[in-house]
Amino acid sequence: MRFEVNGEPVDAEPHPGQVLRSLLRELDHFEVKKGCDSGDCGACSVLLDGAPIHSCIYPAHRLEGAAVTTVAGLGTPEHPHPLQESFVAAGGFQCGFCTAGLIVTASTFTEDDRHDLPRLLKGNLCRCTGYRSIEDAIRGVANTEAAPTGDLTGRSVAPPAALRVVTGTEGYTLDLRTTGLLHLAVLGSPHAHARIVYLDTSAAEAMDGVHAVLTYRDSPATLFSTGRHEQRTDDPDDTLVLDPVLRFHGQRVAAVVADSVAIAERALAAIHVGYDLLPAVWDPEEARSPGAPLLHATKGPESRIADPARNTVAEFHRETGDVEAALATADAVVTGTWRTQRVNHAALETHATRGWLDADGRLVLRTSSQVPFLVRDELCHIFGLDTDRVRVFTARVGGGFGGKQELLTEDLVTLAVLRTGRAVQYEFTREDEFRTAPPRHPMRVTVTLGASRDGVLTAMAVDELADTGAYGNHGIGVMYHSIHESTSVYRCPNKRVDAQSVYTNNLPSGAFRGYGLGQVIFAVESAMDELARTLGIDPFELRRRNVIVPGDPMIVADADERTDLLIGSYGLDQCLDLAEAALARGNGVGAPTGDTWAVGTGMGIAMIATVPPRGHFADTSVSLLDDGRFEVNVGTAEFGNGTTTVHAQFVATALNTTVDRVVILQSDTDVARYDTGAFGSAGVVVAGKALLAASGKLRERMLARAASLGYLGGVVEGGGVRAGDILVPAEKLLAAGPLIADGSHDGTPRSVAFNVHAFRVAVDRATGEVRILQSIQAADAGTVLNPEQLRGQIEGGTAQAIGTSLYEELRLDNEGTVTTAAFRNYHVPQFADIPHTEVYFASTHDPFGPHGAKSMSEAPYNPVAPALANAVRDALGIRPFELPMSRDRVWRLGE
Amino acid sequence: MQIPAPFDYARASSVDDALALLERHGPESLIVAGGHSLLPMMKLRLARPEWLIDINDLFELDFIVRDGDRLRVGAMTRHTTLFESDEVRRLFPIITDAERTIADPVVRNRGTIGGSLCQADPAEDLSTVCIVLGAEAVIRGTAGERVVSMAEFHVGPYETSVAHNELLVEVRLPIRPRSGSAYEKVERRVGDWAVAAAGASVSLAEDGTIDHVAIGLTAIGLDGTVTEAEAMLHGKAPSEELFVEAGRLAALACDPLADQRGAIDYKRHLADELTRRVLRRASSRAAEAQEG
Repeated sequence: MRFEVNGEPVDAEPHPGQVLRSLLRELDHFEVKKGCDSGDCGACSVLLDGAPIHSCIYPAHRLEGAAVTTVAGLGTPEHPHPLQESFVAAGGFQCGFCTAGLIVTASTFTEDDRHDLPRLLKGNLCRCTGYRSIEDAIRGVANTEAAPTGDLTGRSVAPPAALRVVTGTEGYTLDLRTTGLLHLAVLGSPHAHARIVYLDTSAAEAMDGVHAVLTYRDSPATLFSTGRHEQRTDDPDDTLVLDPVLRFHGQRVAAVVADSVAIAERALAAIHVGYDLLPAVWDPEEARSPGAPLLHATKGPESRIADPARNTVAEFHRETGDVEAALATADAVVTGTWRTQRVNHAALETHATRGWLDADGRLVLRTSSQVPFLVRDELCHIFGLDTDRVRVFTARVGGGFGGKQELLTEDLVTLAVLRTGRAVQYEFTREDEFRTAPPRHPMRVTVTLGASRDGVLTAMAVDELADTGAYGNHGIGVMYHSIHESTSVYRCPNKRVDAQSVYTNNLPSGAFRGYGLGQVIFAVESAMDELARTLGIDPFELRRRNVIVPGDPMIVADADERTDLLIGSYGLDQCLDLAEAALARGNGVGAPTGDTWAVGTGMGIAMIATVPPRGHFADTSVSLLDDGRFEVNVGTAEFGNGTTTVHAQFVATALNTTVDRVVILQSDTDVARYDTGAFGSAGVVVAGKALLAASGKLRERMLARAASLGYLGGVVEGGGVRAGDILVPAEKLLAAGPLIADGSHDGTPRSVAFNVHAFRVAVDRATGEVRILQSIQAADAGTVLNPEQLRGQIEGGTAQAIGTSLYEELRLDNEGTVTTAAFRNYHVPQFADIPHTEVYFASTHDPFGPHGAKSMSEAPYNPVAPALANAVRDALGIRPFELPMSRDRVWRLGE
Repeated sequence: MQIPAPFDYARASSVDDALALLERHGPESLIVAGGHSLLPMMKLRLARPEWLIDINDLFELDFIVRDGDRLRVGAMTRHTTLFESDEVRRLFPIITDAERTIADPVVRNRGTIGGSLCQADPAEDLSTVCIVLGAEAVIRGTAGERVVSMAEFHVGPYETSVAHNELLVEVRLPIRPRSGSAYEKVERRVGDWAVAAAGASVSLAEDGTIDHVAIGLTAIGLDGTVTEAEAMLHGKAPSEELFVEAGRLAALACDPLADQRGAIDYKRHLADELTRRVLRRASSRAAEAQEG
C-alpha cells in the first residue's frame, strides 16, 4: 500500500486490524502520541488529506493514495510553522504530550474559527494548562521570551525544550526504536478478593512468539510499596511484584512477555486460573468495624501497618485544649460531614517502561516516572541488585501530578528483562490507568467549629476517614498531610483531630496534587463558610480574624509538636485582599437570562508546606564546557512542571549567560548523584536551590582560575572571564583542568505558601448546571521566578480542581470494578468547560527559598473546590456536601 | 485490550459492490463508515467482525438534495456537511441544533448520518431528530430497495431493521410549510452523550394553530414520540400553559434508567424542562417561518 507521510512516499503493508496511529509509530513517527487509543483525547490527531482525524481509530488499510501530515510535517525546529512559533511564544503547553495533536487540529482553523474555539477544540484534551495559554497560542498572544540577557529572575523565559515539543521532536518515554523489543501484557484479577489455587500457564507458554509467562511463582519474596518516598519506611511493605492473594479487581495475576502486545494478549487468554473467593469489603466504615474481612491480617510489624487486625494502615488521634468544653460555651457552632470521590490523574502519557540490558549487562530502564532515583533504589531492594548495576532514567514525562510517584510498571519490566535477557516494554492502556492506577484518596470528613460572637474560633474538631484501597501506598503520608496545613492554618486554642486510613478491596489510592489536603480543605473551608453565615460575618473577614500570622505556631492538635516547618514569609493577608478586591471589581460577565438561574459568590483559602517533610535531597553539579556553554547535571524530572526552565534561569543568571547556553542533563541516575524526586512541589525549592549553590561556586572557581592565570578582578561573561578589556575564553580556562562545582540541598527548613480562590457563579435550578462567571486565584509563592509559568501552574491546578468539583468521578460497581474506564465516561474538562482564571501574586520574599521563591505546583488545586461549593451554596441557599457537584446533584440541592 | 482483534478488510467501490461483499463474507462481516463507534467497540471486543467492509469511498451516498417536498440526505453525509448546510439550517434547525452538540469537529469530519442511525445508540442525538422530523429510511439490498419509517427502522438499543446483507443508503425528510424545530440536550460536560435531550418539530396551520407536532426524547427510555402531548397540542394555538402541560406528559411518558449520568427523578425532570424549552423554540421558529 502506498501513501505519503509529511510529503515522503511510504510503501507499507498494515497488519490486519491495524490503525493509522500504530502504523505511523512503527514508521518512527513518534510525534504521533497515544493518549487514549479510542478517539477521545486527540493526542494522536493527524491531517489526512488536509482534514484532522484521530489516527488511533482510523483503519490503516484506508490509506492507499492518501497524504498524512503530522505535527513534524507542519514544521521543524529550524523552520517552525507559524502556529508552532505561537505555541512557543504563548507558552501554550506544560508537559507537551497533547501539544502535537492540538497544533495539528488548530492548524486547520481559519480567522473566523477563533470565536468558536470551545467547540472546535472539543476533541483535544489537555490535562496541564487549563487551556488559557493554548487559546493565547491560537490567537497569537505572546507571553514568553526565548533567551533574554541579564538577571532572569522574574522573567517569563520559554522552556528550553519548547521548539522541540511543538514540532514533535522532543522524545517521551516510548519515543525511540528498540530492535527486538518484546512486549508485556498483564492478566488482571476478575475478583476483588481471592486466592489463586490453580494456575496453568503451559498453553500460553507454548504459543508462538511467547517468551515468558510470569506468575507469583516467579515473584521476589520481598514486600515493598508502590508508593515512593525518600524514606522507604514511610510506606507500608504490603505489596509483592506478583501475589497469590488478589485484593482488588484488576490486580496482576500473571504477565506474558511476547513478540507483540497482540500475541501477549492472546496468550493471557490461554492461562487457566482457579480462584478461591474470599469475602471482600468496599466501604471503609465497614472495613474498620469488627468482623470485617481483613486484607493484610498475616503481615507482621515489619510491614509497618498500624493495625492489620482493623484494616488500619494509619491513624491519628490528638487533642489540644478541651474541644467539648469550648463547644459547650461557644456562641456559634457549625458541623457537617463532607465526602470526596476518587479522581484519576489522567496524565495524557500513560505509565510505561522500556527496559534492557546494556553492553555491560547493566539493567537500564527508561520510564515515565517522577522519581527515577527512588525507583532505582527500590528495584535494587526488591531484586537484590547493586545500585551501580541499575540505571533508571526518564525522557520528558507526559504529565504526572503525583501519579508517577509510584512504581507500577518498572518492577514487572525488571522481572521480564532479567528473565529473558531481552528488551521489554510495558505500556499501560488508558483502561489500565482507570482500572488500576492509584487515584486520589476518597475521604469522609466531619468538621465541627465553635466560635465567639465576634468570629473568633474557639473550637475545631476534624474527623477523617480515608479509603486507601487494597494497598497502603501513600496511605500514611496522605493521611498525615491531609490533616496538617488544612487545620494548622487556623489559630484556635482547642483542637481535636482524628484520622484513620483503612484498607478496602477497592483499587489502591495514591498520591495526587495536594496529597490529601484538597479533600480536608474542602470540608474545613465549607465549614468556615457556614460559620461566617451563622455569625453574619463576611467570609474574607472571618478568615482574617482566625488565620495564623507570623509568630504563631502551626498546630494541628498537638501544641508541643516541633517541626522544621516555619512561616518563612507570609502573604496570606495580601492574597485575601487581592481576591476580595477582584471579586468586588467583577469582570462584567453577566448571568444567563432566565428566571431559573441564581447567582452566588464564594471563597476558600489554603496553606501548604513548600517541601515534603522528613528530608528531600538534591545533589547537582554545573560544569563549564569548551565552547563556553554550561552543563547542568540534576536528578529531578521534567513533566510539565517547568522546573527545567527555572533551573536554566538560575544557572544563566548566576553565570551571566543566556538560557540557550545552558545544557541540562536531568532525571537520570547516571547523570546526577542523587535527587529524591519531582514531588511535593520540590523541583524549584530543593533542586533549584542546590543548583544556585553549584552555580555560585562555579562562578568563584572560574574567577579563581582566571586569577591563577594572571587575570585579576574579572567577571564571568560569555562563558569565560572578562578582566578589563580581555575576555579569557572557556577553552583557556579549561586548559588547566576541568571547572565543575557541586551543589546540594537537604530540603530543610521548610516554609509555607498560600492560595485564596474566589468564584462568582450562576446555577440553573432547572438543570443543575453550574456556570462559572468569574474565577480568581491569589497566590503567595514568594518571589515570582517565571510569571508565565507560575500563572500556568495556577491555571492548571484550578482546571484540575474544577474537574474534581464538577465533573470527575471514578466510579466502582458493587463488586469493586471500575465502571468509568475511558474518557468517554470519565470526564476530564475540555476547553469549553474551563473559564479563564484571574491570577494575582502576593509580593513576598522567602528566606528559605532560592531567590526568595516558594513552591507553587500542588498548592493552586487546594482552595478551589470549597470556593466553588461555597458559591453554589450562596446561589442556591443549600450547601453541597459531596463532590463532584454534578448536574444531577446540584439540581437535587436546588429542587 | 486496546488492539482490535485481527480482521480482514475490503474497500467497497459502490453500493452494489458493498452489498456483494456483505453477501460473500456473511454474518461475520460489518460495514464501517466513519469508524468512530465501531473501532472503539472492536478495541473493547464489543464487536469482533472478521471482515470490515469500508464504504468511505461511496461518494454516491454523500449528498443533500431537495426533491419537491422532501430533503434527501445520503447516508454517507458527514456530520460536518449537515452542520454547515444553510439549507438544512433553514428547513430543519433541529439538525443544526443537534449537530452543534455532537462530539468534536474531528469526529464530525469522519462521522456520518448513516453511521449514527445504524449504531442506534440510545443516547444518539440524530435518531431522535429523525424520529421527530418523521424521516424515512431508504434501505437497499441485493433484491432491491425498501423505504421504512423511523419507527420501523429503529428496533431497539443498538438494533435496527437493516438486515445484515442490506445497507442504509438515504434518509428522507418531509418538508412542511410554516414549520420550526429545535433540539436541546443536557450533558455532564460539553460534547458528551446526553444525560437527557429533547427535540420538537411544530408546523402551524394558516390560522396559527398547531397543525402538526412531534416531540422526541433522547437517552431516557422512550421509543417513538410523546404521543399524549402531541394529541393534547394538536389544533391549539401555542402557549406557555400548553408547553408546561406537554412537559408534564413527556416526564410521564419516558422511562429512564438510573446510571452515572443521573437518577431517575432527575432525568424525568429534564424530560419536562427540555420539552418545554424545545416547544417554545420550535414554535417561535415556526412563527418566524410563517411571517417570513
